Amino acid sequence: MAWFMGIDIGSVYSKGVIIKDDELSAYYVTLSGANYRAAAETIRQELLTEANLTQDDITDVVATGSGASSVYFASQKASDIVCTARGISSIFPSARTIIDVAGQSTKAMRIDGQGLVANFAVTEKCAAGSGRFIEVIANVLRIDLKDFGPLSLQSKNPITFSTGCAVFGESEAVTRVAEGIPKEDIAAGVNKALADKISSLGRKIVLEEPCALCGGGALNIGLIKSVENTLNIQLLMPPQPQIIAALGAAITASTSSLKR
Amino acid sequence: MYFAGVDIGSTMTKIVLMDTSGKILSTIKGPTGPEHRQLANEVMKMALEQANLELDDISYVIATGYGRLNVPFADRHITELTCHARGVSSLFPNVRTAIDIGGQDAKCMKINSGKMVDFVMNDKCAAGTGRFLEILATTLGIKLEDLGDISLKSTKKVRISNFCTIFAQQEVVSQLSAGEKLEDIIAGLHDALASRVAGLVRRLKIEPDVVLTGGVAKNAGIVKAMKENLGCELLVPEDPLLTGALGAAILAKEHSAKATAKGEPIPTRPRRLEKATFFSKETG
Repeated sequence: MAWFMGIDIGSVYSKGVIIKDDELSAYYVTLSGANYRAAAETIRQELLTEANLTQDDITDVVATGSGASSVYFASQKASDIVCTARGISSIFPSARTIIDVAGQSTKAMRIDGQGLVANFAVTEKCAAGSGRFIEVIANVLRIDLKDFGPLSLQSKNPITFSTGCAVFGESEAVTRVAEGIPKEDIAAGVNKALADKISSLGRKIVLEEPCALCGGGALNIGLIKSVENTLNIQLLMPPQPQIIAALGAAITASTSSLKR
Repeated sequence: MYFAGVDIGSTMTKIVLMDTSGKILSTIKGPTGPEHRQLANEVMKMALEQANLELDDISYVIATGYGRLNVPFADRHITELTCHARGVSSLFPNVRTAIDIGGQDAKCMKINSGKMVDFVMNDKCAAGTGRFLEILATTLGIKLEDLGDISLKSTKKVRISNFCTIFAQQEVVSQLSAGEKLEDIIAGLHDALASRVAGLVRRLKIEPDVVLTGGVAKNAGIVKAMKENLGCELLVPEDPLLTGALGAAILAKEHSAKATAKGEPIPTRPRRLEKATFFSKETG
């Protein structure tokens, strides 16, 4: 029996999975917080408990994400782009494009039939081009992040943001709230603004279908619909979009142990 | 005869009243406030009171700035670029490059013999504008006007890797908890802002004299960081906030003189010294 662990320490959330024979045995998501090392340790413990295993059962651990070097018990680090591509191809072998909406940036990548990355584009580290914009505006609207997507779907008249900056967008949202614009129209405007940024990222890499969406932003049903409408495509949606890179890291662990 | 220049910025409203000889009778700076479009009348009343004048005494009023269309007592609206260029050249006749960092934008104008010949601006991103400093001062719990002096104590500025205001907020909090000194962090923030503005300015050819204006120019740490990032000397007016309003007042004087020289009446409009309403939306 061989189990493999993949851990993805992101800027906002940290995720981990354990797989066996390419099947998911356990997964866990938690806030990264200020101490990435502690987050990595928490994830390891939670995963082992959930899978009912001990550390000795784990053949190999691979880490990815911006805080990958904090995963002191990993045998190697892998790029989050490579891991995301591997994760998506394991679920959707037919996928040719992946859009990953994360806490600090958004990535678009083209992949081939083997899950290898052909090219990719990343937004600048700009809050308006990432899931952070949704968090900022959810805070203005005083709504829970998980309610943001469903609320936005009720909108009949999404607002248009006049700038592409989350700071100016925040002021704009405050003004719109004061003017009595319904919350759903503001939320839908945010999803549309983000979908437009994703669309221009897609043009850079020449988006090809089928296209999968992942990352924390993919938990927002309003963003999914908005991206589908803007790009005029049907997206492939993984069941757990936040853990894709962690899954890819675990797959990396299993394939590199095969080579050994 | 008297002339007025009214500059409604995103953050501050500035007014300059001037007589025919070009002598400045009063200058007023007031916060634009959240209802920025509606308070120009209040600031104008203060300016008139200070100069001991009535609105009817003013021959010509020019409004400029971001909120210029919402001045119901203006005879004419002129863009802030033209007014800044005019105001800066009146103070520094040899200016060729004028950089203005405002509360919500940053712009750079190339000036030749007092006329603007080219410009670049950023009003799309809070980084590289006064808003960046406002937000980070709040994050650090420091008053905006104290940032400059504190940063000058720095001996080793901290490099801020995020240009995005929102991510920089997170970064300074972690720098503070990592034990970095406040003055070093603030010096790092000034450098981040200056390098962003310098990147914008470099799209035009920088020629001396280079003048820095706008509210952000009141921060000595920014002036220092801008000099380092541009690698040149910078001239800063005594009151860097007022150049737009000053330029508007000078243009008001010049437009009136031109009309009078042609034997035409000064083209005034009906004025209302009241809250502007035409741009505010009806709310249910």
